[in-house]
Order: sequence, then structure tokens, then C-alpha cells
Amino acid sequence: MNAYLLYREKEQSAEGRYFEEKNIIRDLGLETVFWAASRDVIREGEKVIALGEPDPFLESAMRKVMMVPLMNAGEISYRQEILWDCFAEEAFIEELYRFSTEVLTCWDSLGRKAGDKAGSRNTPGALITDIHVLQLFVTSLTRLKKLFAEYGNRLRAEGFRAMHARLCEEFSEELSCSLERILREIAFYARDHEEGITGKMVNKPRIVLGCSLADGLKMADFRLEEVDTEIKKYRNPASMLSRAQNYLSGKTKILASIPRGTAQAAQAEQLEFAAVRYIVSCCEPFLNAFNGFFVQLRLQAAFYRGAVNLKHHMERMDIGFCRPGAGEQDVLRFRELKEFVMGIEQRRNPVGNSCCLDGKNLLIVTGANQGGKSTFLRSVGLAQICFQCGLQVAAESFESGIFPAFFTHFTRREDSAMNSGRLDEELGRMSRIVDNLGGQSMVLLNESFASTTEKEGSVIAYDIVKALKEAGVKVLTVTHLLSFAQRMYDEREEDSDVEFLSAQRMEDGRRTFRMTLHAPELTSFGLDLYEEIIGTQFSG
Amino acid sequence: MGEKLEFTSILDREESPWRGKAFPAFFSDLNLNQVIERIRLEWGEEVTGLYHYFPADGACSDYRREVFRDVKAEGLYEILRGFCREMKERREAMGRKETVKAALQKAVWHVREVKLYCDAFGNLSAGLQGLSLGSRGMREFREYLEAYLAGEGFLRMRQEAERITGQIEGLRLVLTYESDRIIIAQGEAAGSYDDFLKKCFPGHKKQFVSPFGAEPDLVELEAELLKAFRKRNQELFLDAERFFAEYGEYTDAALIRFASEIGFYLSFYRFEQKMKGRGFSFADPRTLESSCEEMYAKGLYDLALACSGREVVANDMVLRRDEKFYVLTGPNQGGKTTFARSLGQLVYFFMMGLDVPAEAAGIYRFTNIMTHFSVEESVETGRGKLREELERLADIMAASSRGNSFLFVVINELFTTAANYDACIMGRRVLEHFLGRECRGIYVTHLKELEGADPGLVSLRAMLDGQGNRTFRIERSAEDAPVSAGSLVGRHRLTYEQLKERLS
Repeated sequence: MNAYLLYREKEQSAEGRYFEEKNIIRDLGLETVFWAASRDVIREGEKVIALGEPDPFLESAMRKVMMVPLMNAGEISYRQEILWDCFAEEAFIEELYRFSTEVLTCWDSLGRKAGDKAGSRNTPGALITDIHVLQLFVTSLTRLKKLFAEYGNRLRAEGFRAMHARLCEEFSEELSCSLERILREIAFYARDHEEGITGKMVNKPRIVLGCSLADGLKMADFRLEEVDTEIKKYRNPASMLSRAQNYLSGKTKILASIPRGTAQAAQAEQLEFAAVRYIVSCCEPFLNAFNGFFVQLRLQAAFYRGAVNLKHHMERMDIGFCRPGAGEQDVLRFRELKEFVMGIEQRRNPVGNSCCLDGKNLLIVTGANQGGKSTFLRSVGLAQICFQCGLQVAAESFESGIFPAFFTHFTRREDSAMNSGRLDEELGRMSRIVDNLGGQSMVLLNESFASTTEKEGSVIAYDIVKALKEAGVKVLTVTHLLSFAQRMYDEREEDSDVEFLSAQRMEDGRRTFRMTLHAPELTSFGLDLYEEIIGTQFSG
Repeated sequence: MGEKLEFTSILDREESPWRGKAFPAFFSDLNLNQVIERIRLEWGEEVTGLYHYFPADGACSDYRREVFRDVKAEGLYEILRGFCREMKERREAMGRKETVKAALQKAVWHVREVKLYCDAFGNLSAGLQGLSLGSRGMREFREYLEAYLAGEGFLRMRQEAERITGQIEGLRLVLTYESDRIIIAQGEAAGSYDDFLKKCFPGHKKQFVSPFGAEPDLVELEAELLKAFRKRNQELFLDAERFFAEYGEYTDAALIRFASEIGFYLSFYRFEQKMKGRGFSFADPRTLESSCEEMYAKGLYDLALACSGREVVANDMVLRRDEKFYVLTGPNQGGKTTFARSLGQLVYFFMMGLDVPAEAAGIYRFTNIMTHFSVEESVETGRGKLREELERLADIMAASSRGNSFLFVVINELFTTAANYDACIMGRRVLEHFLGRECRGIYVTHLKELEGADPGLVSLRAMLDGQGNRTFRIERSAEDAPVSAGSLVGRHRLTYEQLKERLS
């Protein structure tokens, strides 16, 4: 049984993750996203009164799912449909997540992690556990079926509907009844051993076995003929008949009594254990079929549960969100796109940017320090990551191509000290990115190659960006390497697929944190900053 | 019934003086124990001793090579492998017979062991019937086996063993367990719980395994049930006890020896197939009768290195007429020792009558292999170590001076503890000694001075590539290519040109 809430035809796995995802997480501030997804926003009416306790599982689920990009528009809309169902029926996804968590907690207390695979261990204790696990599975699946039946008509997403149908098929009424019969027949074993009844007469079942004498007259080739727990309560005619037949079919019958407390009695109990063990192990196909299911269900439900939390956090800051659209490779356009990580961290509604970069494969952003260049680049990166895992995007609208090969190469200010060790590391990282480029690649460069002189850095940046662009890689770069930007600007042709943006700066030096179409800025605005921070202090 | 035939061994027509000896001295030097260990692991049974059984002469090598060619031909390997499986089963039965305590159990295991013995050789004979065998060894064995199986005594023994095992195996019991008693009956029960389980879980492949299966003896419960059952069915087990008394000793020594020795060919064949699957070549070598022909190997490699899964570089070698000794020099860790080992292995597998680790090869009839590798881990240093080295060397030099001997000699880094000057003189004397004897070989050294003008010496060199990296190629002496340098960007392969190439 598969959950298939994340993909139409596969479960979540660690395959196909972003390359060196820890860089992406750090560069785009995704830790904050994971964190926000793990905490409920608790409201009283309109007012937010508190944040819930962080749920580490939600956090790790977001990390797992978000770091594996989807490959095409079909996969993305499969998740989007489910997610918008969840937005509409928040109570359902909350219940689904809570329920699957409960199942696993209960299973953990039965030693899931210790043995991992149910139905294969060989001690009476483990056998009892397996019986309980079997019981847990049967109960849980019955409950899950009920939950789906309750919300059935209101869930429109293909993913939910298909899962409901699979559940009814793979955990059919017939299977459910058979399992309940088996559980009734072996329940005595769990009860006996748990209650520690030793001296008292126990209502044991009659077990009938066929065997032959092989390998030096040892008992072998067993066949389980009958397990009859209820025989002592009432004797139904059918069982009387089969009993009579048993006696008649044998040519001779011999009675061996097994006195209590002897080795024989202990061995007879082993035989009984083996019979119950055998029955439980026969249920293994059922256990195996649902073994991974609850784990996957919890993980997958957690992703949507986290997304609902994220939605609440956005709503709290009045950050609007949308269902993003998938376009061709050269499409990138958005309205009022916001860097919501900053919004959540600083508890305010950030400035939005609107752009249409359709047909552009290289974007070069220059301009004022502290003007919002990096924030802008991060907002695009964040949106791209959210879009590529089926999440909502913090914008009025967002449309982009799909780039499963997505890379960030950010140099943070504090890193930019000039030393060859750092440049070596930067180049090494760039080279690893080149090794991992694919057919649909997007690279975000933020102040790359800053750890050398402007002149050298510009040459390196020029060579690399040019080669990447010619290889069909989409490059978005924020740079202070003005000779590099200027050279690109000078070399552009009519209908060029290169676009230049600049952080807007008003005449009075005030920044609006909006990007505008602009030729590369040739003056650095460090002086402005100097004026602002130091200049006034000493002039006044 | 014809007259009684004789058959000695599938490894040699006559008893060789090497049989049962400790393994030859060159074994560990050539890393052959690593190869044999791998062969043993692949085969899954002990065969190491068979690889220590070194042939006494060329006739023995030829005898084995013929058998190995039969093993490689269509059909024989599978038949022999099936035979080995059956014999293994028989050995297990024998082991059980020895461990169990109850006399009745012993007797039952014995009947089974004899039946497995009869079946194994019976099936082998049937399998060999239609095969066209080219080797003397296999043909003579087949004749011997047929005669043995047709013997009166064997036929009666087989019939009896089959009858008794059939009787016991055909028995079915029904046990009804009700808290403090068990009812035993003979026959089939009418229940169907197994069928119900099968219907619920069509995929399940579980067997009801006896909880007492791990214990070869009868546990108390089994003994108790058997005792009760036997009271009413006495005649059933008497035959087994009678058989045990009558056929205590029943095997044929030559057949048992064949069964253990045939593993030599089968284990190597299996190993060879595995290695071929991984892309390594093996060749059926040509035997060179005259030293006027050139000894050669194409694509020769170190089989021990190949077994270890590390990267392996193959080399060609040839010793032309009048060329006697290689002198191999070159950088450290450049593949010198590996090449020397691969040459020694080439000769070993050739002499053992097996295929050699190369694409093609032609080899002289050497009488023995002698190796001398300096013992790195020896606690001795300086003069003590040199003394020990010289003593071992003296043995090899003496062996090469014996009449009729034609040695293959592998010498690796002699006199590393001596001064350069001394080492050169001693090395030269050693080489002169071997050049004056009937032998071939290789001398690995860091001393370039030993490459000589003597026409019997061939200079080899472990090569470097243009960047100064080791290539592990061994070639007839030539100079190394010069080394080039690169910048930081270039080193990360990030110049425009490099990127164009990487991204194309």
C-alpha cells in the first residue's frame, strides 16, 4: 500500500535532492521556513495569541520534501491540488497528521525501531509484540477508512481520491474479516504470557499438526491443520465432525501424556509458540504491505500540515500568496513577490517586487548597497524552491520555468576577505556546480568571486557567466564587479536575452528596496553608507 | 564384469613427491595465497591444499591441462558441480551421524549417507556417459567408475539403502496437542488451516519450521513421541539397524580421492568465470618446447590485485631468443613489484596446468619457480637483514646450478640496506650468476646502474605520463615525459575554454 500524496506514482525518497542542499538552505534562509512550518499559529478570533510548540517532525519533513525538486508541471499541480484541498479542509489534514503520528507513536512503544521489521523475530516477547502490531495495523486501517469516508465528497484532489480507493481495495472487507478471525485465534497467546498465568488452567486451543520423520527421525515438514480456541466453550457440529474424522483417518492412535514441569512440557510449549509464530509470520505480506505505509503517510501528511502552518504565518504578516504557474524555460514573471523569510523573522510585511523577465536567460543586478539586491535575489530563489516542491509562493502571481538543477553560489559579506584560500574554496564550489549542471539548470550568484581583486574577479565572473549562459544555463546574479557588469552591458545585442536591474535609489540617497530596469551602476554607493553612518555623527 | 581397473588421481597419473607438502616458498611472495583465498571463497569449500600440490614435472602439467580443457568444454563442469553438491550433502549426513547420540538415529543417518553416496556416483556416471572427453584423466576415471558401479556388491547396497530410506520418508503422522497431552496417529489429518492462511495471504512463503530443528539429537519430546510410536510399529526401524551393522565400511578410496581433488579444476573454473564477468582475461597458454621460441604474454596482470578490486593495469611482455633476464627500474609505487608478481603468477598457473591471467601467452617448461622478496616487516635491519637476504639468495643460486633445472626467478629489491656502491657490485654478481645458468627471470631494483650491456639482460621501466603521474605501464626502457603547471582557475577547470569543453 502506498500513500502517494507527494507523487502520483512514487513515495518520498532521498533521491534526486538538490545538489549541496546545505548551501541552498543557508543562502536562502530556509531554516526559518522549516521552523515556521513546525509551529502552529494560535489565534483567538482574529488575534494571534501565541505560537505552538515546535514539532520537530514537521520541521524534518519539510526539509526532506522541499529539498527534492519536482520534475514537471504535472507533478507540481498534483501536489498543488492536494494542498488547496488541505487549505479548504484544514481539519482533515490536521486529523490525518495527528492520526498517523499516533499510530507510529503506538508502534514505537511496541518496539518498532528496535526490530524495525515486524513478523520476523524469535522470542515469545517479540511474538506478543508482533501480535499487538498486527492488531494496531488492523485497527488503524479501519479508522483511516472511516476518516476518508467522512470527508470523502469534499476532497477533490486526485491524490486523496486515489488513496481512498486503494485503501478500500488493498484493505478489503474480506481481508479485514480474515485478520480479525486470526487475531481472535491467537489472542490467547498474548494474554497468557502477558498476565503471567502459570499455575492456573488456561483455555488453550487445540492445535493439530501433520508431520513426517526426516533427517534422522526428527519431526519435519509440518502442516498446520487446525487451531481451535473456542472448542471448550461450545462444540459446534462442524468441529465435532472434523474431530471424528481425525480419529478415523489414523490407522493407530497413541496417547502420550505430558506431565507439567517436565522438559517435554516446555518443548510442547515451544511447539505451540512455533505454531503461533508461523501464523503471525504468514501475515507478513500484510504487515509488509503496510509497514512502510504509515511511515510514508505521516511524512507526507506532515508536508501538507507544515504548508498549512506556513500559510498561517504568511496570513499573520499579511503576506499574500498564490498558486504559482509552470511556464517554459525562458519564462519568469511575478507581481508583488516578497521575501517572506525576512517577513517572518522581522515580523513585518516586506516590500514586493514585480518584474517580467520573459525571454531573458541572464539577469545582472547591480546598484546601491543596502538597497535590497540580495533580498530580491533571495525572494526569487525562495519562490523557485517553493514552486518546485508544490508549495504556495509569497506573491500575487508567480510564473516560472522548472529547474530541478538549481544552485546557489552566495558570498556573504563577512566571507569576502581577500585571501586565496577563500577564492580557492569559491572556485572549488563553482567547479562542483559545473559538474552537476543538468538540462534544466538555474544558478543564483550573489556577490561571487569577491574574495579577489575587482579586476581578477571580473575576469573570472565574465568567463564563467558567459560559458554558463552559452551552455543554456539560466543565471541570476547580483554583483558589485562593475567591470564585469559593464562588459556584459557593452556586449549585449539587439533583442538580447540579458537583462539588467538596479536597486532603486532616490535623488536624496533614500532606498525604496525596489528593483528597476537600469544599466549597470558605475558608482559604488559605499559613500552613501559612509555618509549615513559616520558622516553625520561627526559633522553635527 | 571385466577385470579390476586402477585409477590413482585426477591431479597426477602417479604419486608426486609434492603431495601433502607445505606450500612452496614463493606462494606468499607472489601473493598467491590471496588469490587462492579468493578462489576458496568463491567455491565455498576448502581447496587450498590442492593449490599447494605442485606438479613434479611437465608431464603432470600436461595431464592437468588436458583435464582442465575438458572442464571448460560444454557440459562437464555442470555435471561435476552437481556431483560435488551431492557429495557435500553426503558429508553433512556423515557429520550428523557422528554427532547424534541415539543408536537408532545413527543408523538412520548412515542409511541416508550411503544412499547419497550411491546417488552421487550413479548420477555422475550417467552424466559422463554421453560426453566426449579428451583427457586421459577423465577417460580413465570414467572407465573405472563404470566398472565399480556395475559390481554386484554396489548394486545390492544401493537397492537396500533406497528401500529403507523410502519407507521412513513415506511416513506421515498427525499430532493433536491439547494442553497436557499429545495424540499421535499415522496418516493425514483432515484440517485445512494452512489452506485458509494461503488464501488470506497468497504472497506468503513461510514454512512451519520445527522448533527443534537446530538440535541434531532428538529432544525429549521427540524421543517420547517416537518411543510411544515405536511400541506399535517395531518392524519399521529394525532394517535400518541391520543395514548399519552390515555396511559400516562401504566407500572406494580412489573415488573418494577423486571427489576431493576434482574441486581443484572446478574451483578455478568458477573463479575464472567470475573474473571474466568483471572484464579480466584468461588464456590457455601455449607450451614452448624449445627455448629458441620467444616466451610472451599479452595483457598480463596481477591476479591478486584484480581479486582485491583495485584498479589493474595490464602489460605485455616478451623474452626473445637469447634474452634471459629483465632488469626493471622506475619510480616508487609505479607498479614494478606488481609486474614482477604477475610474471611469477603467469608461470605458476601455467605449471599448475590451469589458464593464465593474460590475453595470450606462450611459456617454457620451467622446472620450478624461485622468488626473493625483501622482508619489509623483518625486525632485522642493517647487517643482520643483509645476512638473511644473502642466505636466502644462496639457496636460490644453488638450486639454479643443479643439473636439469630450468628455474623461473623473481627477485625484488635486493640489498636495500647495503650502501649503493656495494649493492651495485653484489647485484651485478647475482645477475652474472643467473645469466650463466639455464633460467629466466626478472630483477626489480631502484639501481639504474644495473641495466647492463649484456645481451641477456633486458631493461624495463615503469612509466610516467605527461603530468608526472604514474601509469603503471611497464615498457622497454624509455625516458619519462616532462611535467606541466596550471593556475588556480585552471586547476579548478574553470577557464572559459575548459568550461566550454566541460559543458559541451
